[in-house]
Amino acid sequence: MRTKAGILVVVLLGLFITVPLISLFLASDILGSQFNPANSLAIWNDAYLRQAIYFSIYQASLSAFLSVSLGVIIARAFARFGNFPLRGLILNLFGLPLVVPAIVAVLGIISVYGSKGWLPLGSDLYGINGILLAHLFFNLPLSVRLLLPVWSNIPQQQWRISSQLGMTTSQQWKNLEWPALREALPGISLLVFMLCLTSFAVVLSLGGGPKSTTLEVAIYQSLRFDFDPAQAIVLALLQLGISILLAGIAVKLSYQPDVEANLQLNHEIPISQRRFLLGSFIALATLFVISPLLAMLIDALQGPIVSVLKDNKLWTALGFSLLIGLSAGFISLFLGWILLSASAEQSYFGNKRFAQLLEFSGSVIYVVPPLVIGTGLFIILSNITNVFDWAILLVILINGLMGLPFVIRTLGPAMRQHTMRFHRLSASLNLSTWQRFKIIDLPLLRKPVGLSMALVTAMAMGDLGVIALFGTPETATLPLLLYQRLSAYQIPHATVTAVFLLLSCLLAFWLLERLIGGSNTTATRVNRHA
Amino acid sequence: MLEIKQLSFTYSTQQNEQTHELAMCFNLDVKDGEILSIIGPSGSGKSTLFNLIAGFNSPSSGEILIDKVDISQDPIGQRSVTTVFQEHNLFPHLNVFNNVAIGINPSLKLTKSQNKEVDEALNSVGLSHYIKRKPAKLSGGQRQRVALARALVRQQKILLLDEPLAALGPAMRDEIIDLLREIVADKHIMALLISHQPSDALRASERTAFIHEGKVLDINNTEVMLNHSSYQEIQNYLGQL
Repeated sequence: MRTKAGILVVVLLGLFITVPLISLFLASDILGSQFNPANSLAIWNDAYLRQAIYFSIYQASLSAFLSVSLGVIIARAFARFGNFPLRGLILNLFGLPLVVPAIVAVLGIISVYGSKGWLPLGSDLYGINGILLAHLFFNLPLSVRLLLPVWSNIPQQQWRISSQLGMTTSQQWKNLEWPALREALPGISLLVFMLCLTSFAVVLSLGGGPKSTTLEVAIYQSLRFDFDPAQAIVLALLQLGISILLAGIAVKLSYQPDVEANLQLNHEIPISQRRFLLGSFIALATLFVISPLLAMLIDALQGPIVSVLKDNKLWTALGFSLLIGLSAGFISLFLGWILLSASAEQSYFGNKRFAQLLEFSGSVIYVVPPLVIGTGLFIILSNITNVFDWAILLVILINGLMGLPFVIRTLGPAMRQHTMRFHRLSASLNLSTWQRFKIIDLPLLRKPVGLSMALVTAMAMGDLGVIALFGTPETATLPLLLYQRLSAYQIPHATVTAVFLLLSCLLAFWLLERLIGGSNTTATRVNRHA
Repeated sequence: MLEIKQLSFTYSTQQNEQTHELAMCFNLDVKDGEILSIIGPSGSGKSTLFNLIAGFNSPSSGEILIDKVDISQDPIGQRSVTTVFQEHNLFPHLNVFNNVAIGINPSLKLTKSQNKEVDEALNSVGLSHYIKRKPAKLSGGQRQRVALARALVRQQKILLLDEPLAALGPAMRDEIIDLLREIVADKHIMALLISHQPSDALRASERTAFIHEGKVLDINNTEVMLNHSSYQEIQNYLGQL
């Protein structure tokens, strides 16, 4: 029963990805009667396209390199500094960029590094510098949180042996820390590279021109401004090819970073003699992460708060954002639950490969640009109905599907463990699917369920990618309203809107995690461990 | 000779959200060339005793005397102590030779005579043909032999064996114990062996210490302790096994 439902979800997902792709193919007339191979070749030879490919890989490589290498330094500082009162708070703060909408971070970066900011870079901010700063804001804390468990996972005995052997700090690095890191680095670097490659709002807002355009933004521009599906398809296929290649490499890597990492301090790790230096690294990283949010908050407090709050557009946009966020969260969780149940059941029966395939199919959506799916659906539906009437529904559906990989990473491990422990017991009690869900599964899995729902809701609320394509002034969400204000250079209004959006996302995340997951949530658990 | 006198330590545990404090105080001695087996229930303080001797925990009072010199305040690296744990004794990225060599010099820059020492140590534990193998390619028993070879080249006076046999099968346990006896007698060092198997204690040592609630309840001839002890606690412990 569970497996059949899982297969049905896989089929639906497959249709949801392939049908829009085919419709785009047909609309682009690449395979149609007017198809001219020379034209297609011209697209491939296009300098703009080549520049987009080059810049996509260049910015993603540089962002990943900087985020992960600085992440190693900061994570090591946390590991070797020893415990200190604010450790848990700072590490929780480092989890914040997961929930901060990209467009809000962009505004924060402008507040600090813009021409009127604390560290003004002037026009140099727009282009690679701004993109790198924004990607570092998101991925440096993420790298720290993903890398920190590497130190705790070094066996206690090895730290003790190193002390008995009288190893120096550099010998400990060479013999304990680096060998452990070497296994984790490729997986984490690839994840960060992937996130930077598919980054949309950051490049759209801080890119500053055709020289700094990525494939993702180029797809958006082809569809929204040029309405050139043929070019969009070529770009999307390229993006798809690169993403599939990277996903293939990721599957081969043995170390998969954990979303819900244990950040507990292993008390056997010797405290470094250079605490001042390590403390300085931690302080600088913390300043780097909080300064955009702090600067934005200060600017917002001096901004036109009353006028923004009195504007009906803001509350309508909040309504749309909440509707999209909550619906997308529910869709992700519903589909994710079915897929993971099926996968866990197959894993329980020893069909590991099939179980992995089911899980993997839920993550495939991540390699398909959401704009491409959206546009494909747009074309199909435009033959049947007025698509703009259905814009919100499309945005909900696409965001719901894009959240699926996060549900799989967050809920998957707990679901597998849970099935291993209770599948036989549940079967022996002859419980129906509903009884089992209500009495056993949901109560025991409510914490990861709450975290998944909170995460996807907050991400969908802050998403600019799909709504930028379909949104109209009447259906604007908070991120789109913010983007419109930014584009119109209404920076004070945009700043207040950004803080409002940030607080809405954080509140939604906190409430959902608490209401569904119960009071003993992941955040508090991480805090206690930390 | 190793003498432990009034070595005290307070240990806190959390059970059912309540903090329990256990005050420990150890007294015992080990002669040169002797293996002293340590047995006792889980949580009785066996590993804490080892942590105090090695310097991983600091005692609140008392003395650890090696040949009449108190080492209780010495830093970990300066104590003449080496430990073999149940697992994770070897660095997974180093081959067998380097895992032993690191015991002589952590920078792995060895002189010719030191290289020879490593070869001899590996020869004495029967692993001279495995020098290029990584730990992942060794059996559990072979890994423990490499750890013993490293303990050999370190030439420390005290060898702490923290359940090194727990993951091994019966034949392998006997083999390692015999090797251990040979090393201790040959090098004239002192070894303390924690084990949960009375048969290991019987094979390894003439004397055994029974630790109960943070104290050495009895030190006696191993055969006598295991078969004729008058202590109810020891009888209960052995009866549970």
